[in-house]
Amino acid sequence: MQTKIRIENLTVRYSDGTESLRGISLELYANQINVLFGPSGGGKSTLLRTLNRLNDQADVVTQTGRVLLDDEDIMAPGYDVIRLRRRVGIVFARPVPLPMTIYQNITYGLELAGIRDRQRLDTAAERSLKQAALWDEVGNRLHDPAHALSGGQQQRLCLARSLALQPEVILLDEPTSGLDPISTGKVEQTLQDLKATYTIVIVPHSIQQAARVADWAAFFLQGELVECGPRDQMFTNPSDKRTDEYITGRFG
Amino acid sequence: MFNRQITQRIAFLLISLAAVLVILPIFAIIGYVVAEGIGAVSWEFLTAMPRNGMREGGLLPAIVGTLLLTLGTGMIAVPIGVGAAIYLAEYAGDNTLTRAIRIAIINLAGIPSVVYGLFGLGLFVIFLRFGTSILAGSLTLGIMTLPVIISTAEEALRAVPQEFRLVSVSLGGTRWQTIRRVVIPQALPGIITGIILGLERAAGETAPILFTVAAFFLPRLPSSILDQTMALPYHLFVISTQVPGMPVQIQYGTALVLLVFVLSMNVLATLIRRHYRKQRVW
Repeated sequence: MQTKIRIENLTVRYSDGTESLRGISLELYANQINVLFGPSGGGKSTLLRTLNRLNDQADVVTQTGRVLLDDEDIMAPGYDVIRLRRRVGIVFARPVPLPMTIYQNITYGLELAGIRDRQRLDTAAERSLKQAALWDEVGNRLHDPAHALSGGQQQRLCLARSLALQPEVILLDEPTSGLDPISTGKVEQTLQDLKATYTIVIVPHSIQQAARVADWAAFFLQGELVECGPRDQMFTNPSDKRTDEYITGRFG
Repeated sequence: MFNRQITQRIAFLLISLAAVLVILPIFAIIGYVVAEGIGAVSWEFLTAMPRNGMREGGLLPAIVGTLLLTLGTGMIAVPIGVGAAIYLAEYAGDNTLTRAIRIAIINLAGIPSVVYGLFGLGLFVIFLRFGTSILAGSLTLGIMTLPVIISTAEEALRAVPQEFRLVSVSLGGTRWQTIRRVVIPQALPGIITGIILGLERAAGETAPILFTVAAFFLPRLPSSILDQTMALPYHLFVISTQVPGMPVQIQYGTALVLLVFVLSMNVLATLIRRHYRKQRVW
């Protein structure tokens, strides 16, 4: 298996003094669904947002350690953050369609990158909507406002919007937390199809989802990485007592 | 028990009365001005030059003057005001500089308009040698209008959900791309409303134009921004206090024209706000 992202001894502190992540070292693999799970407040979202430097937007005071994407240190001074965010897309817990049409949402990132060619934009819109399993539902009304879609459709739109940039890595932060089981199933199925092309890093919204979708899983507790490994080992025979207690529902 | 209910009734009565008292003066003022002035308003009144020491003829130079001053005020206050609001809402952190800017804006809003007039006279008319001119008047009114535009525009920008910014940045947007493509379009109705309300105040002000632009009697249209001009508020002041034998109807007719000018801007602002609020998705 090929390592896509290597995290080395990463510590993140917020300006209010809270330490969000402590000495994390972890590898995330290409063409796998990498799951980061654990009780809330464990630093999973912070870790996701470190991977495309969205923490730059937040009150992060210190970040030490290294994050290597294809052996490039993305935290190095002068690193092209804009390019990084095109390579590492993110889908948030709450679907936030931009106040535009479905089509404009999809092509937004491409237009920011300076792509104006209508043909290319059209192709990208169709391809990414198909990848996100939304084309059949919205293909004939691309110019409707995006907020008119249902919650599940909006979330797949947000996924398609990230895919339109043809990123290498897709980060998903509890992408199905607000969705019904059917929509959740569609999103999970989509992820299984996508992993052939992309590196997927997901924070699942439940332990059941973690066990369903994971190829690899990492268990986080209060800012620390407890253990990580392939799915079968993590969910049937974890080596750490705390992981075992969490997956069997004794806390969390 | 009985006493408490009585107290409740009385309190309710008093606050309802207070609420009604708010709408009373606006109807009274408009009603009175319309009743007294409508007879003077005619096509000639709106389109002719004043004659016979302003006792006859029309208001054309004053109407054009007020229009030009409003336009000039906008050209000065809108770019600076909206720019400052974007800086404050989107870029500025909380530091000594931005705190100083905010205190300056609050104080700017509290300065009496006649002081602006005097300041405009000193700086623009005399020191910068613009003379008594539309340019000097617009600059003075522009500075006076800045705090209104800055604070309403900043509020409108801050009302745009933070999530939109995060999404845009996560899709590889720079801060400026995010502001230009997402934030400003969403804040635009609020910004426009603030601009109109600010300009409306400027259009009705007398003191700031008194020393900087307004002509007592100038029955021709201005030909350059360095010309003086008549303007409705000052003209109203002049014909109400400085001209003996002035027909009362013309005074109220002038007040009516000014009132319609200002109120129609107000209505426009309301319509814009309502139109966009219906389309808003957040």
